[in-house]
Amino acid sequence: MSAQLQVLEPELDRLEGLWADGLADTYHDYLDTTAKAKLALAAALIEVGLRLQGLGGRAAPPATLLMGDLCLARGSRLLADNASLDVQVAFARAIELLSSKAASSEPAPAARQLLSAALSATR
Amino acid sequence: MSGNRLEFATTSSTEFVDITSAIQEEIRRSGLRNGRVHLQSLHTTLGLAVNENEPLLLQDFKGLLERIAPAGGTYQHDDFTRRLDIPLDEPVNGHAHCRQLLLSAFATLMVEDGQLVLGRWQSVFAVELDGPRHRRLAMQLEGEFATSRREGTEPLVELELARQLAVDPEPIASPMRRLVEAGGKRLRPRLVQLTSAIGPRNDPLRAAELAAAVELLHNATLIHDDYVDESTHRRGRPTVAAAEGPERAIAVGDYYFAKATRLIAQIGNAGVTSAVAEALEAICASQIDDVALRGTYPGDRESYMRVIRGKTASLFSAACASGALLSEASGEVVGALRRYGDLVGTAFQMADDVIDFSPTSGKTVGLDIKQRVLSLPLIYAAEDRVVGPEVRALLAGSLGDAEVGRVADLVISTDALPRVREEAMMLVEAAVRELDAVELDGLRPALVGVARSAVDRNS
Repeated sequence: MSAQLQVLEPELDRLEGLWADGLADTYHDYLDTTAKAKLALAAALIEVGLRLQGLGGRAAPPATLLMGDLCLARGSRLLADNASLDVQVAFARAIELLSSKAASSEPAPAARQLLSAALSATR
Repeated sequence: MSGNRLEFATTSSTEFVDITSAIQEEIRRSGLRNGRVHLQSLHTTLGLAVNENEPLLLQDFKGLLERIAPAGGTYQHDDFTRRLDIPLDEPVNGHAHCRQLLLSAFATLMVEDGQLVLGRWQSVFAVELDGPRHRRLAMQLEGEFATSRREGTEPLVELELARQLAVDPEPIASPMRRLVEAGGKRLRPRLVQLTSAIGPRNDPLRAAELAAAVELLHNATLIHDDYVDESTHRRGRPTVAAAEGPERAIAVGDYYFAKATRLIAQIGNAGVTSAVAEALEAICASQIDDVALRGTYPGDRESYMRVIRGKTASLFSAACASGALLSEASGEVVGALRRYGDLVGTAFQMADDVIDFSPTSGKTVGLDIKQRVLSLPLIYAAEDRVVGPEVRALLAGSLGDAEVGRVADLVISTDALPRVREEAMMLVEAAVRELDAVELDGLRPALVGVARSAVDRNS
């Protein structure tokens, strides 16, 4: 295990299955946008969490929704502890946009595009 | 004007349900000081009456109704061959409709100094005439509202909630507005506001922003919980999932999760942001544990305590800590308030469990059992030497209304409810002791009051 992954290991508690099932790939994709491992993991958790919940599509079954909720909450906590205020606000606004579009049954931008932009947010 | 629905389940064909304390609780929650409570039955076989709650007298009333409109009598309403559009589940209940004609479907009661005006022997009854059924009463309260909810800085939270909801897209804001306007105890925002006045930097406007954001976050978690628990009603109104579907519920929950975290971040205090974020993560993790434990329902006390500390107590604790952090209180004070919030939140959840067994709470008795939600009274009853085997056997099978009713009766027959009440009170006293060691700038009585009100509920 790399030093970077060792740093992340405590953040993957309860999410080991998800990590092997695509979260790791999403995380590595976000590392192309930021060098900060915890921010890349936060973005990956939020993207995977929204997908698990079925936001904008068919509602996930309850157990899957709860796992999605945990991904969002952990991603949010990682941002609170590690990101600048601008980045935290940009992430929140991205989720607000995606969820309001979903509630209105309107087409939404891709989550990856919004979250990648949020990682680069500055005032 | 304030409105609500009073819901309850009846357990027999004819039953006098004493709803006096449930109405009084609504008066307390609304803050009505002087005015009137209007009640209206929403059913044609449910009446209202004001009389004495004396068991033999209630038998007399039942006998009177039976003599005037006997259940075995002949009623044209029951001749289905002469009626059109009969539903498959149409009951034979002509006698019940006739009996309802003898009672009233409406009642108006006076309120003075926050108390129902009733004579020494008077109680208010909902009279079931065709039970057992799930029943609803419409309730409106009008007059002079002047409780602490509307005094001091608390209106700032309501204004801030309204302001935030006013700027959101309507498909998102409308369901949340219904939930917020339906009431709720607002304990978490109250704790934020109180604790934010403790340190040297007391800013009521910033505190109201934080308090409103915490309340929105709490409501966002409830919207997802209601979908997970398949709940149809909350605060007397249909849940977002029941009214608008799970897809909308997920979107509304996500929106206010994100918006609340943004509002908190924009307050610009890193300690506050982290405290609330940690609580949210604990809530989500514990909700997963809660659902997982339903496989070994009703579980054990240790698992129960772990789950409710995450699911409920964590946000109480974060509300207290974040308010104190916002006011730049000392680390010692923040720590004491964090522990105080944890204990109060745990006690609050225990009191909530007890209410599930109260027929006068306004909530459906046994709803937690039906939804297999963790409940400490149920855990104690399942461990009881006498009734435990039957409780466990019932819970191992499918839970229809009859089984839920039987389990509730078994729980009530043990010492589980007083035991849980006593534990909750002990936690409140422990919370109060946490306040003794720190300087709280005169706010100790208010915090003691909130702690006691968390368990002093309609049970």
